Amino acid sequence: MSENKIDLENPLTKLGFESEDIVQQGQMGAICARAGVGKTSFVVQVAIYAMARGKKVLHISLDEPVNKINLWYREVFNPIAAKNNIPLTNIAWDSILTNRLIMTLQLDGFSVPRLEERLADLIEQNIFCPETVVIDGFPFPADRTVLKDLKALGQKMNMNVWFTVTTHRHEEPMDDGMPIQLDGVQDLFSTIFQLVPEQKTVNLNVLKGACDTANAKSAFVDPVTMLISK
Amino acid sequence: MKIDLSKVRNIGISAHIDSGKTTLTERILFYTNRIHAIHDVKGKDGVGALMDSMELEKERGITIASAATFCEWKDNEINIIDTPGHVDFTIEVERSLRVLDGAILVLCSVSGVQSQSITVDAQMKRYKVPCIAFINKCDRSGASPFRVLNQLRDKLGHNPIALQIPIGLEDKHMGVVDLLSMKALYFDGANGEIIREEAIPANLVDEATARREELIDKASLFSDELTEAILEEAPITSAMIIDAVRKGTIARQMTPVLMGSAYKNKAVQPLLDAVTYYLPAPYDIRNEALDMDNNEEPVVLESDTTKKTVALAFKLEDGHYGQLTYIRVYQGAIKKGDTVINVKNGRKIKVGRLVRMHAADMEDIDMVPAGYIGALFGVECSSGDTFTDPSLNLTMLSMFVPEPVISLAIKPKDNKSQINMSKALSRFTKEDPTFRTHVDPETLETIIEGMGELHLEVYVERMLREYKAEVDTGKPRVAYRETITQRGEFDYVHKKQTGGSGQYAKVVGFVEPIEDQQFVFENKVTGGRIPTNYIPACEKGFQLCMAKGPKMQFPVNGVKVTLQDGAFHAVDSSDMAFQAAARGAFIEAYLKAKPVIHEPIMKVEIETPTEFQGNCMGLINQRRGMILGSQDEGVMCQIEAHVPLSEMFGFSTILRSNTQGKAQFTMEFCMYKQVPQQVAEDLIKASQEEKKK
Repeated sequence: MSENKIDLENPLTKLGFESEDIVQQGQMGAICARAGVGKTSFVVQVAIYAMARGKKVLHISLDEPVNKINLWYREVFNPIAAKNNIPLTNIAWDSILTNRLIMTLQLDGFSVPRLEERLADLIEQNIFCPETVVIDGFPFPADRTVLKDLKALGQKMNMNVWFTVTTHRHEEPMDDGMPIQLDGVQDLFSTIFQLVPEQKTVNLNVLKGACDTANAKSAFVDPVTMLISK
Repeated sequence: MKIDLSKVRNIGISAHIDSGKTTLTERILFYTNRIHAIHDVKGKDGVGALMDSMELEKERGITIASAATFCEWKDNEINIIDTPGHVDFTIEVERSLRVLDGAILVLCSVSGVQSQSITVDAQMKRYKVPCIAFINKCDRSGASPFRVLNQLRDKLGHNPIALQIPIGLEDKHMGVVDLLSMKALYFDGANGEIIREEAIPANLVDEATARREELIDKASLFSDELTEAILEEAPITSAMIIDAVRKGTIARQMTPVLMGSAYKNKAVQPLLDAVTYYLPAPYDIRNEALDMDNNEEPVVLESDTTKKTVALAFKLEDGHYGQLTYIRVYQGAIKKGDTVINVKNGRKIKVGRLVRMHAADMEDIDMVPAGYIGALFGVECSSGDTFTDPSLNLTMLSMFVPEPVISLAIKPKDNKSQINMSKALSRFTKEDPTFRTHVDPETLETIIEGMGELHLEVYVERMLREYKAEVDTGKPRVAYRETITQRGEFDYVHKKQTGGSGQYAKVVGFVEPIEDQQFVFENKVTGGRIPTNYIPACEKGFQLCMAKGPKMQFPVNGVKVTLQDGAFHAVDSSDMAFQAAARGAFIEAYLKAKPVIHEPIMKVEIETPTEFQGNCMGLINQRRGMILGSQDEGVMCQIEAHVPLSEMFGFSTILRSNTQGKAQFTMEFCMYKQVPQQVAEDLIKASQEEKKK
């Protein structure tokens, strides 16, 4: 166990993604699901696997307070650590915690230039230099120009950006299987996942971005721990 | 003594420094005939205001101890409980906020909502205390009550609603217009005690009508009766509005705002009326106790004198007649001659003399029923203790007391101070469980321990002011700890056979790190290799080593010792020998187990205007801090971080100078964490140098 890194096996890499990043730097990824199925849990896992590899993760939440998000991370990390046989989880957690920063912004105050100003401030003072950004609670369907600006910001600062997208039961997906919320903006995302609750499990489908989509279908999320497993 | 809970108000007066809290309290006591002359805070007459019992409070602008005073207003009984405004005294704050049912939030009409008002407000939110606001100092130049009212909404997130408008501001401030009765109120007489009602001045009629519309509109959300009256265009009575506003206030959905000038004796009486109209009676508030038999599960208490008694001791006072203990009864009643139990130590207490405090003098009473505040004489207890009926095991406050994180050596300057100092220390430790004291066996210095720099500073000051004990203080020391990070084996023989009876003991086993526990001992010796009667001696030997680590002399934490094997001698083995063997074994294994130093990490929350967010984050970064996150709340933003305590000395000054005094922070102990290599080396070096001296 070296400084700020721990060994965790990322089940997502088995879904046919070549790199551990799943989403390349400068690209955007999305996880779509109905309310309560596990979007936040999914992005938190993505963040934890990135943190474990020493990547700096900035978690931006638009609706929840810092403490609650912190709790999410702890709740998700403990079973992951147990699965990977990490002893002394508190120490392991503390060692990667420096790789994360939570920022909660008010939705009505959210704008790309403002975010950029904040990030520049953090980087300039050498406080935190994010490599992965998770934006939880961004409202979809979204303004294409805002997403485009965010993507440009990601490219400029060399970060990959994850979004959570809330879908609704009563809305039929589009012809290609994409949720209607991504209509007109899906080309901006390099990778799109979807969580679909079945009777006893929650299936994780790769809608876009995997090299080997056929293999991807066999992944699911354990509805008890909400962990991604294969 | 009459019991009518609907006429009882237990309130606090919370305010920013210098917004006139003491003056207001003084005026309230005057109008309720508690005192017969008005003294000013910065007393020209040398008497000083009554409630400011501690000079230190004035100097630092903080209220440290919570004094309780009882007064009567138009048949209502009002208990005023003073609340400390500083966060370093969290236990004291928690106690006094538990006792209050409602509060008056005093704001200055010139400076408005300032950083400390935000702290006070946050505390009240945490304890769900309903409040009314009083915008004071309307006579000062630059007064702008409605700007303050807007700040209440924007900065504190209240739903403020004006019940009055001022008649003239600054030096033309004459009185207020009451929007309920639509009358102008003037306050005549030398001390403003004569209230003169007149018609609203012509220039204010329009504004008053508009504000009243607004008031009724907002209040109607809480009352169907009022809504109906509006829809049917029936006459709207003051009683309807009072009822609606009261509902909104108690639900904490609305903050009625009054205004005036306590110093100039304007509009204090209407404020007292408002206290009785809008703030909750004891039964309007849900009080919870924690069930000790059931893992501190909350239990709801009822203000019913026939139920079993639950009371909280919230303040101690050293009087001429011994210790006076202020209590608030939540359920049942405490009667003269009753027997109650102090839940903390299970001791039975017979209730002797019961009194009620009237500022300086007291009145003997026979019982203190639920919802009331009284005082007990001659009861040995600490503040924060819960008294209950012998069949209950409930506590009002969590029994959890955090370990102190900072210590300071103190030395009395002369003999007289020595005696007074010990008096002071014994009193303070009783009052505040987070404040501890002991004598260092090596240096013979008196050490005081507490939760933060300011916490200890205040006690040192109080020693001087209240007990005239002059002390020299050393440098504050952080309470470091040691622990191990890996398994370490031991195989140790203790042997002494030089004359007299010999000593022989052998212990074999290992130590390993464990989380969340201080010390665990496991005995896995089989086959009588060590006789069972010596096992406790081994355990004791290991445990004694935990007090001072072999590495840096700091207390050791998080060690599990497993004893696997050993040997004994039929004649030469003894408890002593096994204890000594355990000590030797511990040192042997400990050094193999990679010991490290842990330091207390504080959870720091900074509240700053957004423009200084970057500066504040930079400050934390310079102090080895880890930023957990930042939270935007409109113009203000909150930064949460974990910072080592050793880096936080003098932080308040630095924070202020970096943010034009606009940011403030709170700090509480969070956890122990390993000290980075570089810092650990410095610490070791420093301790070695100290040893050489």
